[in-house]
Parts: sequence; structure tokens; C-alpha cells
Amino acid sequence: MTLSLSDVTVTRGHGRTRTPVFHEFTARFEPGRVTALVGPSGSGKSTLLAVAGALLLPDSGAVVLDDTDITGLREAERTRLRRERIGYMFQSGNLLGALTATEQLLAASYVAGGGTRRHRARAVAALEEVGLADRLKHRPDQLSGGERQRVALARALFLGPGLLLVDEPTAAVDRTQADAIAKLIIDRTRAHDCVTLVATHDPAVIATADTRIDLNPEP
Amino acid sequence: MFLALREIRAARGRFLLMGLVVMLVAALVGIVSGFTTGLGNDTVSALRALPATHVAFATGAKSDQFNRSLVDEATVAGWRQRPGVEAAPLGVTITRGTTGRGLEIDMAAFGVEPGTFPAPAVRRGTGLDAARPGLVISGKLADDGVRVGDTVTVDRLGLRLPVTGVTGDVSYGHVPAAYLPLDTWREIRFGVPGARTTPERLPRDASGVALRARSGADLAAADHALGTLTLPMSKVLEAAPGYKGERVTMTSIQVFLYLIAPLLVGAFFAVWTVQRAPELALLRAIGASRRRLLSYTVLQAALVVVAGTVAGGALALGTGLLLGAAVPFSLPAGTLTATLAAVALVGLAGTCLTLRRVTTPDPLTMLGAAR
Repeated sequence: MTLSLSDVTVTRGHGRTRTPVFHEFTARFEPGRVTALVGPSGSGKSTLLAVAGALLLPDSGAVVLDDTDITGLREAERTRLRRERIGYMFQSGNLLGALTATEQLLAASYVAGGGTRRHRARAVAALEEVGLADRLKHRPDQLSGGERQRVALARALFLGPGLLLVDEPTAAVDRTQADAIAKLIIDRTRAHDCVTLVATHDPAVIATADTRIDLNPEP
Repeated sequence: MFLALREIRAARGRFLLMGLVVMLVAALVGIVSGFTTGLGNDTVSALRALPATHVAFATGAKSDQFNRSLVDEATVAGWRQRPGVEAAPLGVTITRGTTGRGLEIDMAAFGVEPGTFPAPAVRRGTGLDAARPGLVISGKLADDGVRVGDTVTVDRLGLRLPVTGVTGDVSYGHVPAAYLPLDTWREIRFGVPGARTTPERLPRDASGVALRARSGADLAAADHALGTLTLPMSKVLEAAPGYKGERVTMTSIQVFLYLIAPLLVGAFFAVWTVQRAPELALLRAIGASRRRLLSYTVLQAALVVVAGTVAGGALALGTGLLLGAAVPFSLPAGTLTATLAAVALVGLAGTCLTLRRVTTPDPLTMLGAAR
């Protein structure tokens, strides 16, 4: 899968408070590579993730995932695209409080309309791949920040998306955990051969990325 | 089912509390329904047991007709001549008596002509005989200790009536019914204490005329010609003392409970939806359709409402068993099922009030830009 953004412009606010987040942004992202989106707060890192991830429509421009221009899809089609082709790893993990680590992954299958029972073994294997073999039945409040992020990464990749979007993955973990998560994102991107965009302030994550895009707010 | 059950498990305290509230509302509705049916039976079961389609009363009696209406023999005879109608005089009055063994009883005396259709079938003993006075008592009086062979003395008049048979558990105006020949009824209704009056010298009236009318019988024309007011049995029930008032009171309580139930369930699910708005936004972000969010929320509501309602029904039934025959309580399976289905439906309707909120959380809030 490839992702390309052509002349994408996003503005924020209305009327006289309307300000551009980015203007005619163009980039192309290849599978198996991690791109770090870098910039100060307000520079549009998360907005770019939202646009690439079909959560936000740009004011103009094209966002093409393989052959599909996201900007031409209806809301229900974008929802289907998100669950079938895009994986998200949000800040602080953002797991469902009622579910165990294994069930977090099965929830992705449930959301996609598939069964959950037949995917259990695969969910366990996915958690083992991110080093959580002994945390399968733990709920989010029983996991550390780093473990929650690992579960979130496993969930994001569980249905084999072509595009992985990661938002500040190391914001709430210590240095050791941050380094481990940064390495894990690289490993999993290679293993799944997906396009990965990481919005981050973390120099360690930036250093491990294959590509870096600097975003600066408009003056 | 996957998310619905796991969220209930994780928030079992809250769902248990809500289930208890639904259970108590359902139990209360069930108990009120039981009392409505029980009180209704206690008031009009003798009228329901009457194999009539209509009763004709005197025109002047607008309410409490069995007490106020009197129709004479000529009117009864006039009704008997109408085509498509079977008619028989019926007298109803409440009195009291004492058995030979000193048991004091209240009884709704139903005066009928033996051999006519209003005369009761007996399940023990023998029926009424035109040739001699006798009493066929309600099973309720038998339960109170009156036996076939006892002699009941009507307190006011000293009239002695042998109990010849027992019929079903029927009553009128919360008083067990007792059937007796119409002439004997006239003695009770028109007799003056201390005066020795023969039946021939008493008014030859009855409270009304019980009718079995075939479809097409022109009752209005008969009313016009005979000076009567004919009511169908559904309206005749309202002629029983207190019946209409009881129905209005009990039905009002039920209506208010049906209004309260959806508000309680709706309020719970409104708060529950607000609490999990971030998780709903997360599910939307990872691709959950609105329909999926709605379906699992409705499933959660259905589980808590149905479980609470069934438990409430069991509690209402248990209460009925505990009360036993001490109070007029009756909760047949059909009534209970209909009542519980109504509670479950209004409870789910309450959930529907909150469903829009389930689909409104914005998935964009999951990203740092929107925090």
C-alpha cells in the first residue's frame, strides 16, 4: 500500500479566526518505512494523521490510499476504510477499560464485523510478538504505560492494515520504555510492510525513523 | 454481544443497581396489576359469571343500578316477548346473616328464578328449587366455613335459608355471592323487620332483567317500548359499587409507573453514555459503524431491562403467594406476561431517548490535535 497527499490544505477555525494548519502539502509514503512527523505543538502533526487516516477531510487536495482518494468518499465509506485498511495507535494507548489485553485485539475484529472466538489464538500470538505473553488477561488499569502502548500497537496491526498511524507513542512512558516502543514500531512496520506515520516530539523516535518530515506552523 | 457483555461485567455494580431498579419497578407494576385484577374479581366476578350479554335497568337509575333500579313483572314479561332475546329477572342486594353454628357472614344476595339462565351451576350439593327456599353459596363462603346443610338466618328479618349447594368463587362489591329464589330475594329486599309479610304482598320487582340477546335483536326499540335502559355486560360491571373508582385508581398508578420506568432507564443510559463517550469515540476512530455502536448499546439495555423485568415478575408472583388469600390479589400468567412485556417495552423506549448520544462522539477527539 502507498499513501500520497497532493496539495493538501487544511485550515482551522472559521471566519476571521480561520488560520491555515498546512498549505498545499504534498508527500508520498512507501510501505515498510516509518516516517516521523516532527514539529512544535500546533504545527499540524496530529492534523496530518487525521487527514491521512480519514478522520478529517482537507479543505482541498487529494489523499490517495493506493487507488482510493479518501476525499471523495462518503462518511460510511471512510468509516469502513478506517476499520479495514488503517491501524491507529493513539496517545497513552487509549484502550477500552472493560477489556483484557487479548480482548482489546478481539475488539478490533468485533468492530470489523468478524467473529472473536476464532481469532483468539492469533490475538495471543500478536501480543506475544510485542512482548506481552504474560499480560494477556490484564486490563488497562493493570498495565504500565509502556505495556498499554504495546497492546495499542498490537491492536492497530491486528487486522493487517496497510497504513499505521501513531500519535505521540512515547509521551507517557519513561526513557527505557520509549526506546523499546520506538524499536517495536520499526520492527512491526517492517514485518507488516505497512506505511507508518508517527507524530512525535521524541528525539529517540525521530532518530529511529526512516524519514523525517518537519512541519512548521504558518507565520 | 462481545462488547456488551464485557462492559456489563466490568461495570457490574452499576448495571446491578440499574437492574435492581428495573426489578423493583416491574415488581411494583406486577403487584399493582395483581391487585387490579384481584380487586376487580372481588367486585364483579359474580357479574362476569352471569351468562348474559346485557342487563336492562329502570331508566331512572343512572349509576349504582343494582341498588337503585327496580323493574316490575310487566317489564320482565315485555322483555320475554321481544324477538331474539332471552330474558330473566335478576335481583341483587347486599345483606348479612348468621349460620346455625354462629358464623357471621356478609353476602351479596342474587335473586334468580330457578331454572332460568342466571341460576348458578353448583359444584357441590344441589341447585335452587322453585318449590322451596334455599341458598347456593359462593365457594368463598364455603372457604369461610359455611357448609351445605347449614341454615343461614338473614339478620335483619330472621329469615331462615338452608344452604343447598356451592357454586364458584364469585363475589360482588367485595362480598361473596349467595344465590336464592327471586321470591326469597324480594323478602330480603322489601321485607320490613317485625312485620309478617307474605311474598304475595311484596312488590313483584327485581333489580333488572338479565338478557341473552342474539345479534340483530333490537334492544333500543325494546328499551323505548318498555321504559328501560339496557347496558352491555362491560358497562354492567361499572354498576357494581366501587368498581369504576377502583379501576381508575389502580390504572392511574400503573400509568405513572409506565411513565417512570422509561425515565429511570433513560437517565441511567444517558449517564452511562456520557461516561463512556471517550471509548465510543475510540471505537468510531478504529472504524466502528454507528449501527454497531447502537446495536451493542441496545443489547446492553435489553439485557438489563429484560433481566430486571423477569426478576421483578418473580418478585410480584412471590408477593402474591406470600399474601395468599388474605387480600384480593390475582396475577394470571397472561396478565403477568402482558404487564412485564409492557414494562420491558417502556424501559427499552427509555434507552431510545439516549441513543442519539451514542453515535455523536467525534473520533477526531482521539488525536492530539483535538485534545
